[in-house]
Amino acid sequence: MRRRILPLTAAALTGALALSACGTGADDGPVTLRFLSLAWQTESVEANERLVAEWNEANPDIRVEYVQGSWDNVNDQLMTGFEAGDPPDVIHNDSPALAGFAARGYLADLTGMIPEELKEDIRPEAWETATFGDQIVGVPFLQESQVFIANRELLEEADVRIPTPEDPWTWDEFAEASEELTDDDTYAVAWPLGNPVNRVLNLSLSYGGTFFEVDGEGRATARMGEPERAVLERIHDQIHTDRTADPGTVGMSGSDPLPAFFAEEYAMVQVGVYARQQVEEQAPEDFDWVTIPTPVGDTAEQGAASQTLSVAADSAHPEEAAEFISFFLNAENQVDLALGDWLLPTSQQAAAAPELNTEEDDWNVATASAQNLVVAPYLRVQGFDEWKNRVAQPALEEYFSGEIDIDELSERLETEGNDVLSRYH
Amino acid sequence: MSSTTAPPRAEPPPPAAPRGPGRRPRAGRPDRSVLGLMLPALVPVVLFSVAPLVYGVYLAFTDARSGRNVDVAFVGPRNFADLLSDGDFWASFQIGLVWAVSVTVLQLAAGMGLALLLNQDLRLRWLARTLAMVPWAMPPVIVGLMWRLVYHPDAGILNATLRDIGLVSGDIDWLNDFSVALPAIIVVGVWTGMPQTTIVLLAGLQGVPRELREAAEVDGAGAWRRFRSVTLPQLRPVITTITSLNFVWNMNEFALVWVLTQGGPGGRTRLPMLYAYEEAFRYGFFGYAAAMGVAIVAVVLTVLAVYLRRQLKEMR
Repeated sequence: MRRRILPLTAAALTGALALSACGTGADDGPVTLRFLSLAWQTESVEANERLVAEWNEANPDIRVEYVQGSWDNVNDQLMTGFEAGDPPDVIHNDSPALAGFAARGYLADLTGMIPEELKEDIRPEAWETATFGDQIVGVPFLQESQVFIANRELLEEADVRIPTPEDPWTWDEFAEASEELTDDDTYAVAWPLGNPVNRVLNLSLSYGGTFFEVDGEGRATARMGEPERAVLERIHDQIHTDRTADPGTVGMSGSDPLPAFFAEEYAMVQVGVYARQQVEEQAPEDFDWVTIPTPVGDTAEQGAASQTLSVAADSAHPEEAAEFISFFLNAENQVDLALGDWLLPTSQQAAAAPELNTEEDDWNVATASAQNLVVAPYLRVQGFDEWKNRVAQPALEEYFSGEIDIDELSERLETEGNDVLSRYH
Repeated sequence: MSSTTAPPRAEPPPPAAPRGPGRRPRAGRPDRSVLGLMLPALVPVVLFSVAPLVYGVYLAFTDARSGRNVDVAFVGPRNFADLLSDGDFWASFQIGLVWAVSVTVLQLAAGMGLALLLNQDLRLRWLARTLAMVPWAMPPVIVGLMWRLVYHPDAGILNATLRDIGLVSGDIDWLNDFSVALPAIIVVGVWTGMPQTTIVLLAGLQGVPRELREAAEVDGAGAWRRFRSVTLPQLRPVITTITSLNFVWNMNEFALVWVLTQGGPGGRTRLPMLYAYEEAFRYGFFGYAAAMGVAIVAVVLTVLAVYLRRQLKEMR
C-alpha cells in the first residue's frame, strides 16, 4: 500500500520532539558546527566549499561541516529544525525569512559577537536588512539589484540612447524607448512576472511605494496609495495598453525568457543582476548584450533584501559560529562569493575590488546599482510571507494577466491583506 | 454474494479478508495470555499512532504556534469557529473534494477496464500484468518529478506531441495555468493510483465463478449484459472496498501534489492537506493546522459512513 504521512501526525511528532530534545551538552573535544549553505551555482558552491576547507585547516578546534540546502524548501526545513531544537548552527538564508524567525526567537543576537572591522566594512543599509528590533540576527553578505539586460544591436538600430548608471532612464523615457523598440516581430520588453511580488515591491520604491504602514508596536497594515500604484500601472500599461511588453512572459519566472531574448523576440528583459551569468553562458557567440539600470522615478532607489548568515539561538556554540561567519564574510572572501553568484557584496572593500568593477560582463553597472539599494520596507512586516503567498501573488498574477484592474487589485491587497496581517498582531 | 468474501464494515477492512470457517466462540472477556500476546503489537500502535493522534486532537483546541518559549493556551473550539469562516479553507476543501471524487471515480473506471483486459487469455499476460504495476512501484515524489517533466511547457513531451500532431500551436503551461492545473494533476493522480485498483479488481474478477458467465452466455446474454448482470454484482463488495479506500487516500494526498505544484497556481490545486501543511510549517500556526486535520478526518469519516451504509443496504 502507498505510504501516507498525515501532516497532522507530523505536526504532533514535531511537537513531541521539541519537548524531548535538549542541548547536546558541551564536551571538551573539538567543536563541530553545522553550516547549512544554499549556494547552488557551480562556482558559488566551489567557493563555499573551498572557504570551509580553508577554515577547517586553520582551526582544527572548530570543525565546520558543510551541509547543502536548497532555497526551495529551506524555510520548511528550518522551521522543523528549530521546533525540534536541533537546527544547523550556521544558517544561510535571506532577510525576508529572518524577520519571521527573529520574531519567534529562533535566531541568536549577534550584536556583541561581530568584530568592529566587519561591522564597519558592511554598508549600513545592508545591516538594516538583518536588524530587527535592536538585534542583529544575521550578517548580510550578498544583495541582488534589479536591472534590464538589453540587446545592444537592437537599441542602436532603433537609435535609442543606452542609459548608464550616471544617466539612467526615467520611467517616461523608458516607455518612449519601448515604443521605438517595438515592431511587428519584436517586443521591447519581457517582464517575467511569474513570482512578481518582491520584485515589483522593490521597484515601487522609485516612487516611494512602501505598501505597508507599521505602527509603533510593530503591527502592520497594507496600504495602496498613488505611490504604490505607480510602477504597477506602468508595467501593466506596457503589457496591455502600449503593447510594448510581451504578454506571453507574464507567467514566466527568472530567466525563462532568455532563449527568446537571444532569438531577438525582445529587445530587453528585466532580471536580477545574477542573470548576467546565464546570459554570458548561454548567449550565441556574436550576441552583444548590455546591462542597463532600472528607470528612476522620484528617486533611483530600489528596495533590497540580503542573503545572510545567522546563528541559531539553540546552537551550543554561538561564539564559535560567529567567529566562523566573520572569517567567511571578510572582504576578500566576499569578492569570491559575489563573483561565484554574480551578485553584489555588502562589504565596501569588496565592492571596490577591481574584479567587481571591470567592464567585462558589465560588473561596473551591476556594482554601481548597489548604491541605490535601500532596505525593503516589507522586511519589517510580520506576516509578510503569508500576505505575499496568499494574497499578493495570486492578485498580482490576475492583475498582470489583465483579469482585474488596479482598483480591484488595491482593494484585495488591502482588505484580504489586512485579514492576513491581523493574525500576526 | 460470494461466500468467501466478507462484507466490508464501517472501518475499511483489507480487501477480501477471508474468514476462517470454524471460528471459535469468543469468551465474554479476553483472557490474560491473549492480552500478553497482544501487548508487543499494541505498544508501537499506541506510541506511534494513537499518541500522536490524541496529541494532534489536543493541539486543535489550543493556540499553539511556532516559536521558542511560546505559551500554549487552551482556547476551546475557537480554531473550529475560525475554520468555519475561513473562505480559503473551504475553497481548498472544495478543491480537495473535486480532486478526491474525480480521481477515485476515474481510477475505478480505468482500473476496471484494465482489470477486464488483464483477465482475458492474452499472450504475454504475465508481462502486461507486471507492467501495469509499474506506477505502484514508484515513490510519489519520483512520480511527481517525472510528470513535471512531461508537463514542462517548453521541453515537455506532452506539448511536443500535441504540437507534432497539430492540436496546439503555442506552449501550454499545464501546471501553472489557472484552468488546466487541477485537471492536469488529476490525470497524474489517476495514473499513480490505477495499479492497486486494477490488482484488487483483478483479484475480484478471478473470484467470479466462470459457470455463472457461461450460463448467462448460453441464455443468450451479450458481453455487455454479462458484465452488467453477472460480473458487476459479483464484484460489488470489492468495488465498495477499493472505492472507499481510494477516497480516503486521495483526500489525504500530499506528496504527489506538493511536488507537482506546491498548491499553485494561486491556490488552484491546494488540497486540504497542503493547506494544513502550509499553515503549520510555513506560517507556524500549529493549533489551527491541527484543527484542520481534525476537521478533514471528521468529514472523510462522515462521507465514508454514508457511502458504506448505502452500499451495504443495497447489497442485502
